[in-house]
Amino acid sequence: MAGLVTTFGAGAMTNSIGEIRDADVLFVIGSNTTEAHPIIAMEMKRAVHRGATLIVADPRSINLTSFASRHLKLRPGTDVWLLNAMAHVICAEGLVDADFIETNTEGFDAVRETVARYTPEEAEKVTGVPADDIRWAARAYATTPKAGIYYTLGITEHTHGTDNVYGLANLVLMTGHLGKPSAGMNPLRGQNNVQGANDAGATPIFYPGYQRVDDPEVAARYEKSWGVPLPREPGLNLNVMMKETGRSIRGMFVMGEDIVLSEPNAGALEERMNGLEFLVIQEIFLNETARFADVILPGACFAEKDGVFTNSERRVQRVRKAVEPPGQAKADWEAVLALANAVAEKRGLTPWRYDGPAAIYAEMAKDADKFAGISHDRVDREGGLQWPCTSPEHPGTRFLHEGGVLRGKGLFTAIEYRPSVELADPEYPLVLSTGRTLYHYNAATQTRRGVGLAEKQPVAFCEIHPADARARSIEQGDLVEVETRRGKVACRAMVSRQVRRGCIWMPLHFAEARANLLTVDDGDIVTQTAEYKVCAAKVTRVAEQPAERDAFPGSFYAVAGPEQGTIH
Amino acid sequence: MSSQNPKRVPEEASDPSLSVTLDGETVDARPGETILELAERHGKDIPTLCHDPRLAPAGACRSCLVEVEGSRRLIPSCATPVADGQVVTTANDRIARHQKVLLALYLADQPDFAARGETPGGAQACELHAMADAVGAPTDWPKMEPLRVGREDRNPYVQFFPEACILCARCTRYCAEIESVSAISLAGRGAETTIATADDVSLLDSSCELCGGCIDVCPTGAMTEKMPVTAGRRGHVEPEKVVRTTCNYCGVGCQMDLHVEPAANDGRGRIERVVSPEAGTTTNDGNLCVKGRFAYDFVDHEDRLTTPLIRAEDGSLREASWDEALARTVEGLMGVHERHGADALAFVSSSRCTMEENYLVQKMARAVFGTNNVHQCAAT
Ligand code: SF4
Ligand code: SF4
Ligand code: FES
Repeated sequence: MAGLVTTFGAGAMTNSIGEIRDADVLFVIGSNTTEAHPIIAMEMKRAVHRGATLIVADPRSINLTSFASRHLKLRPGTDVWLLNAMAHVICAEGLVDADFIETNTEGFDAVRETVARYTPEEAEKVTGVPADDIRWAARAYATTPKAGIYYTLGITEHTHGTDNVYGLANLVLMTGHLGKPSAGMNPLRGQNNVQGANDAGATPIFYPGYQRVDDPEVAARYEKSWGVPLPREPGLNLNVMMKETGRSIRGMFVMGEDIVLSEPNAGALEERMNGLEFLVIQEIFLNETARFADVILPGACFAEKDGVFTNSERRVQRVRKAVEPPGQAKADWEAVLALANAVAEKRGLTPWRYDGPAAIYAEMAKDADKFAGISHDRVDREGGLQWPCTSPEHPGTRFLHEGGVLRGKGLFTAIEYRPSVELADPEYPLVLSTGRTLYHYNAATQTRRGVGLAEKQPVAFCEIHPADARARSIEQGDLVEVETRRGKVACRAMVSRQVRRGCIWMPLHFAEARANLLTVDDGDIVTQTAEYKVCAAKVTRVAEQPAERDAFPGSFYAVAGPEQGTIH
Repeated sequence: MSSQNPKRVPEEASDPSLSVTLDGETVDARPGETILELAERHGKDIPTLCHDPRLAPAGACRSCLVEVEGSRRLIPSCATPVADGQVVTTANDRIARHQKVLLALYLADQPDFAARGETPGGAQACELHAMADAVGAPTDWPKMEPLRVGREDRNPYVQFFPEACILCARCTRYCAEIESVSAISLAGRGAETTIATADDVSLLDSSCELCGGCIDVCPTGAMTEKMPVTAGRRGHVEPEKVVRTTCNYCGVGCQMDLHVEPAANDGRGRIERVVSPEAGTTTNDGNLCVKGRFAYDFVDHEDRLTTPLIRAEDGSLREASWDEALARTVEGLMGVHERHGADALAFVSSSRCTMEENYLVQKMARAVFGTNNVHQCAAT
């Protein structure tokens, strides 16, 4: 996110979901789209049926790779090498858009000099992707006007996540694939309202609408608007907050998030949680974090409250109350309002008054230009509006940067490859990545309670390449232990060519086999987003095997794919 | 660029250049469009069963037949492209007669429970019967013995009533062309033709991703949602309340209609099913995935928190009133504030919650407690 703001001046999908269908090249990197964003994947597949070229870069063979013209099966954590090598080809073969670079960007020379050292042949050694495939992908991307980039957590959840984003942005800027339909640079948001929460200022550095807290003019405006003095120093990022838990952080409020299940290196976090003097959580189900809470407030789910969510393509859409919350549960906005006012009273501040979510939205829009033209009324009438939408007459924005980069000049950033913080070694010889599956959702407190979803994938599993399994006498469905320097969990082995040799993969969703007990909590230097995608691990078969092997249905895509890219 | 989401007509195809006579009127037609698309653009109401704007035309059900000058037979408008100088009639006695006979035949092949409107397929369950009504098809033709037999499938979501299937192949084409998994296809021959997975395995063991698109496109309710059936709520009822909202799972933001029974659950209301909006009207183009369409039963789960809880001296959780829980929270957070300062507090808000809720949390952290230590849980 931060990477995108730096480069383009806005942290969101540049283009719209509806434009995917008309794209001619789709470069999908670090996104298991069919499982994480099924309807976007559906549009990608429709584009392929129409004749579009799909290029997938991912360490695993994912469902989407079966629709791809090429699958760049890179080693986890080597994205910078791949992207710089693609840039190398584009520069070396004169495929850059010189006019666009001249008028719309700055910093190209430094990038050209850097990528000159990243030849496809060297890249092949590091990434495992054949040099010819890198050349082919670079040419296909650079020479097609309607070429869009799509990425997710596979790009950002690394200690070099921001570098990966810069690497992609460099490709976009040098080819000028920006400010037109079906092109651009498109981060697909994991949760329903990641975009909206960012937009609303739930970040330590921005007020609503990406206005910096340390900009005196902005702070002065909010002080006037809110009628109180405001802190001018940026606050702590989530990953830092978690590391400071029980140290400098002594009291915590958590709304709608199971931090103990979802945050990396959860074992260490649990220990620090005990150092909190006070923890209040607001939730719809008891979760792992609840074990540490002093107060638990019952919240309402999406069907029980009004408001808006903003999707990945910046479209503000309504959430509408259909049923009442159970018992005394309250919509989270009502609970936060009650809490804020109880504290305000104690601190002698003026209490807040809102007669509902529409009024809250109106207050936010008033102080943030990007949303100034959006209101509940208008969204109700028009069925969804894409920001920027700066006045009640503004129709909203389908794709960004039309007629010039928002930031003024798109910023090239030269990046160098840095290995992930923890690499495989003799003691922990495998590389563990974690991710999501179609049938469950993050902490799975919702989906695992559904009658049906749990049926398709009832038990935790770990994908392992047949050769690695054989070397450890592991068979399909065996109970295995996955261990890293931080912890170990037991789960079933899924022997599958989906993963590269030397790599294993686990879903994040299972409370009884918490992948996040294993992951490292080192963060990206800019965003502090943790490295969920790479750490060193070992896998052993558990001696005692439980009887009911049949209960293990495997994954949907357990079917072995063709063996490729197994250079190790 | 407008952010509105109109029906998507490919931009290149939008300049009209052909001339067609439609019911006696000369109109401009776009190269590449079908007679059906042209007629719909001009407000004609042609009945269709196997047609879906997202799918390549199949011309399978014969309900959309029109008269074209120079052709002796009636021809399917959904599968016939416009041509310059074409003379098309969409309604006359001959067409009406054809529609009546066709629909009477379809009805005669429908099982009794479907005739009583008891396939639990939601709004679309009645598409066939509604159309029969509209064209005035006779309903008293002798029943044919439906040959297609059902098979139990242990998947939790999709129920198939083969007797009610008219073989329009909307479901199988959707499965191949849109969801692109080709889990189901037409199987068998002649009168025994039906819809099945390869080797007749359960959908759970096929390439099916349980998106439920087959249910959504089925015009007869032969493909229908299993959960209401399992819960004993068989029988199609017009939903009492329909609420358009946004899916709460991923960042695609699919629009969906919650069909609600307001009196259920002691007046709290219950979501009876989730239906996707019409194709072409929202970002999701009439599609939903397995989570959006089916993962709503958590809403009524018995594990839902229904009252505030407070940690007691002995470490157990006990129920409390909102007033008591809020007082304890103020005391807890302000205690930390007084002892260690504002920056000893951290506020984690949620990408699952609404924008308004996130706004209030950051405002509370900044304006009430005086710290910028606020972040949503998924910063990516
Ligand atoms: S199940 Fe429904 S959609 Fe599928 S062929 Fe039969 S009638 Fe058509
Ligand atoms: S229906 Fe599926 S693809 Fe659409 S928003 Fe919900 S989870 Fe995402
Ligand atoms: S709708 Fe045209 S043949 Fe079925």
